[in-house]
Amino acid sequence: MSTILRQHAEQLFAAELEELKKNDADKRPPNWLMSPQAVVTYLMGGKLKNGFEVSPKYIGNRRLIEIAVATLTTDRALLLYGLPGTAKSWVSEHLAAAISGDSTMIIQGTAGTSEESVRYGWNYARLLAEGPSEKALVETPVMKGMKAGKIVRLEELTRIGSDVQDTLITILSEKTLPVPELSMEVQAVKGFNLIATANNRDKGVNELSGALKRRFNTVILPLPDSMEEEIDIVRRRVQSFEKIMELPAEPPAVAEIKRIVTIFRELRAGVTLDGKTKLKVPSGTLSTAEAISVVNSGMAMAAYFGDGTLKAPDLAAGIVGAVVKDPVQDKIVWQEYLETVVKPRDEWKDIYRACRDLGI
Amino acid sequence: MSIHILGIRHHGPGSARNVKTFLERLQPDMILVEGPQEGDDLLRWSQHSELKPPVAILAFRPDKPAHAVFYPFAEFSPEWQAIQHGATNSVPVRFMDLPLVYRFAFESEQASPAEGLESTGTPPVEEEHVEALHDHRDPLRHLAEAAGFNDGERWWDQMFEQRVNNDDIFEAVGEAMRALRQTLPNRENRTEQLREAYMRKMIRQAEKEGYQKIAVICGAWHAPALETMPKQKDDEALLKGLTKVKVETTWIPWTYDRLSFASGYGAGILSPGWYHHVWNFPNDDGTQWMTNVARLFRSRDIDTSVAHIIEAVRLAESLASLRGRSKAGLDELNEAALAVLCGGEPILLELIREALIVSDTIGTVPSAIPKPPLLQDVEKTQKRLRMPAEAGIKELLLDLRESLHLERSIFLHRLLLLEITWGHLQHVRGKGTFKEQWQLRWEPEYSIRIIEKGNWGNTLEEAVTQYVANEAGEAATLGVVSGLLEKVIPAELPRATEALIARIDGLAAATGDVLQLLEVLPSLATASRYGNVRQTDQEMLLGILQSMIARVCVSLPPACVSIDDDAATTITVHLHQLSDTIALLDIPEQRQAWYETLQQIADHRQAAPLVSGYSTRLLADAKVIDSEALEARFARALSRAENPAAAASWIEGFLKGSGSLLILDLRLWSLVNRWVRDLQEPDFVALLPLMRRTFSQFSHAERRKIGEKARQEDAGLAPVEVLDTTALDPTRARQGLPVILQLLGLQRSGIATDKPA
Repeated sequence: MSTILRQHAEQLFAAELEELKKNDADKRPPNWLMSPQAVVTYLMGGKLKNGFEVSPKYIGNRRLIEIAVATLTTDRALLLYGLPGTAKSWVSEHLAAAISGDSTMIIQGTAGTSEESVRYGWNYARLLAEGPSEKALVETPVMKGMKAGKIVRLEELTRIGSDVQDTLITILSEKTLPVPELSMEVQAVKGFNLIATANNRDKGVNELSGALKRRFNTVILPLPDSMEEEIDIVRRRVQSFEKIMELPAEPPAVAEIKRIVTIFRELRAGVTLDGKTKLKVPSGTLSTAEAISVVNSGMAMAAYFGDGTLKAPDLAAGIVGAVVKDPVQDKIVWQEYLETVVKPRDEWKDIYRACRDLGI
Repeated sequence: MSIHILGIRHHGPGSARNVKTFLERLQPDMILVEGPQEGDDLLRWSQHSELKPPVAILAFRPDKPAHAVFYPFAEFSPEWQAIQHGATNSVPVRFMDLPLVYRFAFESEQASPAEGLESTGTPPVEEEHVEALHDHRDPLRHLAEAAGFNDGERWWDQMFEQRVNNDDIFEAVGEAMRALRQTLPNRENRTEQLREAYMRKMIRQAEKEGYQKIAVICGAWHAPALETMPKQKDDEALLKGLTKVKVETTWIPWTYDRLSFASGYGAGILSPGWYHHVWNFPNDDGTQWMTNVARLFRSRDIDTSVAHIIEAVRLAESLASLRGRSKAGLDELNEAALAVLCGGEPILLELIREALIVSDTIGTVPSAIPKPPLLQDVEKTQKRLRMPAEAGIKELLLDLRESLHLERSIFLHRLLLLEITWGHLQHVRGKGTFKEQWQLRWEPEYSIRIIEKGNWGNTLEEAVTQYVANEAGEAATLGVVSGLLEKVIPAELPRATEALIARIDGLAAATGDVLQLLEVLPSLATASRYGNVRQTDQEMLLGILQSMIARVCVSLPPACVSIDDDAATTITVHLHQLSDTIALLDIPEQRQAWYETLQQIADHRQAAPLVSGYSTRLLADAKVIDSEALEARFARALSRAENPAAAASWIEGFLKGSGSLLILDLRLWSLVNRWVRDLQEPDFVALLPLMRRTFSQFSHAERRKIGEKARQEDAGLAPVEVLDTTALDPTRARQGLPVILQLLGLQRSGIATDKPA
């Protein structure tokens, strides 16, 4: 077992990628490690010709992934859009891993992301000592990706200031990155493309300009359609967490996961699953990703402080933490939910008690 | 001699193209098409320039028009192409399906208990024409699954409709269906067997007549059954002894919307607009389609550049190649449009679906085609009034002062009375009763409804009159009849109006329930007011109104005695409406009678206090009782001997809707104020909710004023002086009156004095 806390997708799923490449008979676009069909199989899972089972990375609509992969074969960039926690970064990581075998060409977008981190920067010591030269140039992931013909990832595109966002326009339309200081330019090698992610719930985002928007094909990743799908996602991700964290806790019972997913779905929808009771909606998004983290932290609690089995008290703190994001409003929402929905459910008594014990 | 069986999918553009090329190559001397034999006569219209698809053959039983069947044809229907081929090349075309004269009889034998249901409710659109497809949709699934598709329809599209090269396609179809029919033989039922036997009979007949090259166009499912001919004797045995009914057929316009699944057709095609496109542009790689999408978007102010189209077509192509398809289909194009043009928002896809994928195309039918007389009359009127049937939603603003508009309005109102909801009357902005806003949307099944109503008369006017008279005869309550009357008046049907008025008169005389009369009166009065715009004779209506009001005046006072609170509230609402009605009619004797009735109610000791209070208020408003008399009544109602609850209820009645009277009239104010102050505490607590209910209906400003007034008085201050009306100079005031009357649009001063003080 490696000592790395979290491995990159291409390392974690190296075996799968290898098998896919071996069994891939379809045409590959230039500089792609596998054919678009194989990339879709890698993300959606499936059985290969030689019987090798590829695990699904994205659980949901296959057509969305097909659109995403097909977009990357054209010269438009891909924008994954959606609520926080709908597997945008996850999909982008796996796409990059499958197509370029490298998911590390990444820029994290923040309000402070500057032009230097998108285009190129200067090693000032060298710049002062030797004057402008290619050696004094600090290459960004974008520049590296263009030179190598790889997929570059840009996280949280809409958090970057509009002026910096727009530096992408030349890169995406002309596929070139001019360096006027050295009177040169970097022209993108075939295979280069960009996957950006952005979420539509955040406050204080910078809307994309019309010109930039036109360079992207947009794919909206939705919240899971059905209860079963969501439970499936949580279970798979939690199992992979066990693998990474080597937790001694017993694998969580599906029933336990089902309860959490139920709570999250009900609060998100503002109505109980049977459609009978209306509920207030908390301010947080309550995405699937948060459900996953609640189960994970519950398992850690059970392993280190409990008896190794995932029980309601281990989960309670996590649930409350995820739901109550605003101490005043969300608390009322949660208490109402606890008293009107959780309490009357007979088999939920343990959760009710555990949450009450927390005193929130 | 040769027989060629062409198995097709109804409304499949690929099938249509295959049929067309096949027929052009074969040059047959006889074409047999799956369709009802009664339609043969209609085929002579097929080249008429006014017959533009989508159209449908409508077949119905003249004795039972509700029992009808539609056979829709679009431009891209293989049957339509076969018919066209026959017509252009002078090749005889015949329908070969089991004649409906047998089928209707056969079906009504089988389904007689359900018949009662059939004649009412939603128009019966039978899935006749596509039922072959419907029948084998499930079997197709088996083949689709074998080929790795999850949907039989899609598989068929991919295999047979979207191909460009189709040399042996009909053999392949026959082969596939034969395999299916062998594995699923139990799907046969008697109707199916009869139909196939009849089709074989028709083929044999054509053979006997000496035709050399016979092309047979039928649903793919039937193809194998027509290829292998069983003994003639067996078929004849099957067809023996079928009973017959009378059937008539005609062409009617159809819409793409109706062809699609969404409109409850049961079985149909999801994307007629797309098929239309595929038929007209068979070699389009998506460019033409995407350009249409872009143009649609631009027309809705969504910026879409040429670059967008290029990118979308490219993405659609990559998607198709990713999925191993030779050409981008509708799915790929939609997904590309979603990602490139819509920015991922599926809501805009809905726009594409409505306008392009389904599209609101409607066909036309030559006016010379013989049709049932009522349908003909309606179509003639549509033509005369320049209101063609259109598939999309159309807004129509009518100004009833223009004669053409008035006629249109009458026409629409008449259709509404026959339950043909082509037009929906919308709320119209602005004042005036001369404007009407309509929303029109033609549905093909209106044709059948018109035919269905044909037994009421041969012209629209006649049919509606008869129909309404019949409805009125069956109606048991005044409410229903007066509702009908309201609808009939704008439809200008003097005879129907007469019948209704007579019916109302009869019912009103017979009813002992004064409440029923009260309910009907306001709508009748409104109806009589409509006479200003329309030239309906209102004399009769006025006569009835007067006699009804007379009846009300007699029986109202006893009806206000010994009733519970709810009934009292209802009566006050009616009193309010009725007094408005009487003011509207403005007939002096009537008003006098009305005031007397109110006096009776107000003075009646046993009358419900709420009603009695309200009657007093109406009298005071009309200045029938002067302020002294009012004060006396007030004092009496609030006197100690009176039960406090009754007093509170009286006040509630009196102050209904407005408290300004309390603020303005000092004497009333002090009476109420004193009464409240003298209440014993338990009484006060008990009455508080009641009083609160009364006062909560006042406007905020009124309540604040009343509160201030009460506080000032408690503090020993002199109450705020109100404007003394006697200080007005009557001569000068009178000079202003004409202008005010003009502003209010009132001609006679009599009305002005009726208004509340």
